[in-house]
Amino acid sequence: MTSVSETLGRLRAPRAETAEGAGRPSGGSVGGLVGRTVGRSAGRFLRKTSNVGLVLYALALGAGLGLASADWATRGGYPFGGVSIGPWTAWPRTGSVGADPYARAVNARRGEIPLAVGEGMLVTAATDDSGATLDATCTYRLAGVTPPARAWTLTIAGRGARDPARPPMREGFTSTEILRERDGRFVIMVGPEVEPGNWLPSPRASGPVRLALRLYDTPVAASTGSLDRDSLPAITRLGCRS
Amino acid sequence: MRPRFLFATLCGLVLAGLVHIVTVLAIPALSESDALTRSGTSESLDHPQRIYTLSTGDNPAPAEAWLPIPDPSVAVGVCAYNLEDGPMRVSARTGPQMLSLAVHGRRGAFYAVTDQAAVRGALDLVILTRAQYDEALANDDENEPSRDVRIVAPERQGYVVVRVIAALPSQRPAANEAVQAVSCTIDSPSEEPAKPNG
Repeated sequence: MTSVSETLGRLRAPRAETAEGAGRPSGGSVGGLVGRTVGRSAGRFLRKTSNVGLVLYALALGAGLGLASADWATRGGYPFGGVSIGPWTAWPRTGSVGADPYARAVNARRGEIPLAVGEGMLVTAATDDSGATLDATCTYRLAGVTPPARAWTLTIAGRGARDPARPPMREGFTSTEILRERDGRFVIMVGPEVEPGNWLPSPRASGPVRLALRLYDTPVAASTGSLDRDSLPAITRLGCRS
Repeated sequence: MRPRFLFATLCGLVLAGLVHIVTVLAIPALSESDALTRSGTSESLDHPQRIYTLSTGDNPAPAEAWLPIPDPSVAVGVCAYNLEDGPMRVSARTGPQMLSLAVHGRRGAFYAVTDQAAVRGALDLVILTRAQYDEALANDDENEPSRDVRIVAPERQGYVVVRVIAALPSQRPAANEAVQAVSCTIDSPSEEPAKPNG
């Protein structure tokens, strides 16, 4: 992809130069007769060849920009189709037949098997309640309830492949494993330091992290409009290790 | 010069839009790393191909995992089907763990069911084409109606995903076995009329 943009840049640069070069002799009043005729003939010559040049330029621009934007839009996560509820984003349609072409392209590129509507729903979070990106060096407090589901799992992941040097630690909790309050609410501490209770260690030493809440066999997959901020856990930042 | 250059740029941008749309639409068909292509290697098996085996005490690293961000407590298996060979029968016995089956085609999942839909502890799905469905209906014994869940697939190729959730780490070996215990077989047309007796 970089080679295409490089050739595009190379193509564009001489084009701008010739446009300036053609304009300069006619605009300059001091230029002599020789300069003017040379400029005029050069302009005529350019006008003849520039048709081919312009077509090539348009084709290169179209192919380069089109491929680059398609690659950019289908790389990484789903570009759109999510329902954002506070810091969380629910992805109800990514696995169904009604998924948008971008979600299908993302799934195909990554080899992902998304959850179907009758199976469950994925809810992700990349920021805390105040909108700041979740960071591996910070400690967060997840408190509240989850939407009704037969089972859920909450996992944490950093960007890219796992660091092989780091010892394998807990990557997530299931709804059965978690320690709860008497009223069914729970608190999960996410951070690099050991915490009492439900502690989810940061997956890496630094960098952005993402939380994924997977709800299995949930009725809300069919109606994400029924979700509001109170039905998902709040993510509060407590402090960062400097 | 200037207006023609602008016109060329405009044409290039319009072309870029077209290329973008065509590329995004073509990626699922051209991709070689998507789930449909990768699951194709399991077509000859009569049990799900392991996609994500949960780590247990004995074998910590799931070697055959190709899911980008797998759920660390859900075992996943996949059965590819090609309805040219005949209808696909997926049979699962429910256990203590939650199990779900999802049928994916080229365009996405068109059917999903969990073990709560099981009748007497058994979940039987039959995936067929429209023609095979009509044939199965015609062959049905009126006195002994079939208890299978029949699903008409939009395309001939696809795959069935089996997910079993291990709620606790101690249930992980059982979850891996539960995925393997699901059977994916091809219903040959000659067996179809005799099936309700068996």
